[in-house]
Amino acid sequence: MSKTSRHIQTLVLILFAAYALAPVYLVLLASMRSEADLFSGPLALPWPINIDNFLRVWRESGFAAYFFNSLKISAAVTVLVLLSAPLAGFAFAKMRFAGREGLFALFLAGLVVPAPSVIVALYGNLQTLGLIDNQIGVILPQAALLMPFSVFMMRTVMQEIPDELIEASTMDGATLFGTFIRIVVPIARPGLMSLTLIVFLFSWQEYLLPLVVLQTETLKPITVGAASLQGRYGVDYGGIAAAGLIAFAPIVVLFLIMQRSFVRGLSAGAVK
Amino acid sequence: MSDRTAYIFLLPALVLYVAFVALPIAQVVGYSLFEWDQGIIGDFAGLSNFERMGGDTVFWAALSHNAIWVVLTLAFPLMAGLLLAAILAERNQHVIRWMSAIYFIPRTIPLVVAGIIWGWIYNPIFGLLNYMLESVGLGGWTGAWLAQSETALLSLNVVGAWTFFGFCVVIYLAAIQSIDPSLYEAAEIDGAGWGRKFRDITVPLLKNSTLFLGLYAAIEAMRFFDLVWVTTQGGPGYATEVLTTHIYKTFFLVGDFGYAAALSVVLLAIVLAISSISYFLLRAK
Repeated sequence: MSKTSRHIQTLVLILFAAYALAPVYLVLLASMRSEADLFSGPLALPWPINIDNFLRVWRESGFAAYFFNSLKISAAVTVLVLLSAPLAGFAFAKMRFAGREGLFALFLAGLVVPAPSVIVALYGNLQTLGLIDNQIGVILPQAALLMPFSVFMMRTVMQEIPDELIEASTMDGATLFGTFIRIVVPIARPGLMSLTLIVFLFSWQEYLLPLVVLQTETLKPITVGAASLQGRYGVDYGGIAAAGLIAFAPIVVLFLIMQRSFVRGLSAGAVK
Repeated sequence: MSDRTAYIFLLPALVLYVAFVALPIAQVVGYSLFEWDQGIIGDFAGLSNFERMGGDTVFWAALSHNAIWVVLTLAFPLMAGLLLAAILAERNQHVIRWMSAIYFIPRTIPLVVAGIIWGWIYNPIFGLLNYMLESVGLGGWTGAWLAQSETALLSLNVVGAWTFFGFCVVIYLAAIQSIDPSLYEAAEIDGAGWGRKFRDITVPLLKNSTLFLGLYAAIEAMRFFDLVWVTTQGGPGYATEVLTTHIYKTFFLVGDFGYAAALSVVLLAIVLAISSISYFLLRAK
């Protein structure tokens, strides 16, 4: 390849990196800009660096509560999925039973079901159960909507576990559940790690369910909080930028640390 | 090993899934066949809720926007992902790791927050886009990007593409790395340049990944809601209305349960059709 065309390719790589990062960079700048510095143009470096926006948003607009609600809801969804999907994935991968194909097809169909398409019935059901304006009313449907993907992914992970290991353990008299806990879970740990991250990421990002289910301000997660802040703060761009940053920074950092695990999970099923 | 053990293993996942996904789907289908008054179920209405769609211009506008979204996604982030992956594949491990991480970052950002950030970039007064256009002497091109019906959908799609192209890079990259390198070496001996190798080896061998990403993009294009809702809520007018926002408005704002259910059934039918097509196409390989 000629030098010029290699340079052009490098330029393309850099241009797209700018496309990916510019909005993030912009938010970072705006969040640290003081009011006096507001009109020096969106790309000027903020000086003096100022963390008032973060303090204001965190303390005064209830953003601390939004943040911890997100943490709580996402953690609960993740735990629910982790307690159920690996077992189901294991059953589909390693056990033979009547109705296996049919049940798997049932889960498979749910892989693409969008929350807005079931909300019409789900909302009424949650009302009947008394779960409107209750975080459990977000957690249970959220875990359920993520279940098909999780079961599907876990089935793929479990299929890779050698049958001999499972047979050897059950032959020694262990129950299947004991085998699952002592043999299968440790081997499947990288897959379980990926599942944890992805489910956490998806529930952190969820917007529609908490938007319609939760009404009390102190119960809402960060996505709903950030959106309502946008309306309330009007032109306080520093505040909105700080809020946005609080909403995505932890996930971005988590992703950068655990990149391999994340990507393996998200591309599960795609390459196979 | 008895069937019972298997069912016990399946039970937790199945109960959650049936209670909060499968059952609501069945209910939505049922609801769509009835008349509703103030949230109370009335007479059996047959398919009359579905017949109303014929004359519902918002529905058709929404559906066409979903379709445009698919086409735009295939045209931009998918192609960009393919090109970037092909370029990256020839760089060293460090570059690959870093660049794919950078491209992927937007996908980790919640769409709501992405919508807020980009809504701000597009802001006609404070926005970065107009600012940059002016500073390079293109002041005549500035606009109220999300507030004009000609540019709103396209501007939103740029945001959608922003969150999606990194995913395409990752998927394509994994596929390229599994291509037998001797194919490229043979082509090089025959004197093929980068463009030739890309066109004759990379693109054809990535057909499956392209198929997967295309169908994935199509399903995502039918499902998305957050991005539209936090930026334009379907406006201006109905310029960015999509099926999900139409359902949301029909249900929560108009309170027309039967029709909202019928729209949900259409949405479900479309995504399930796309996913079964993809299942059979990808299985067949």
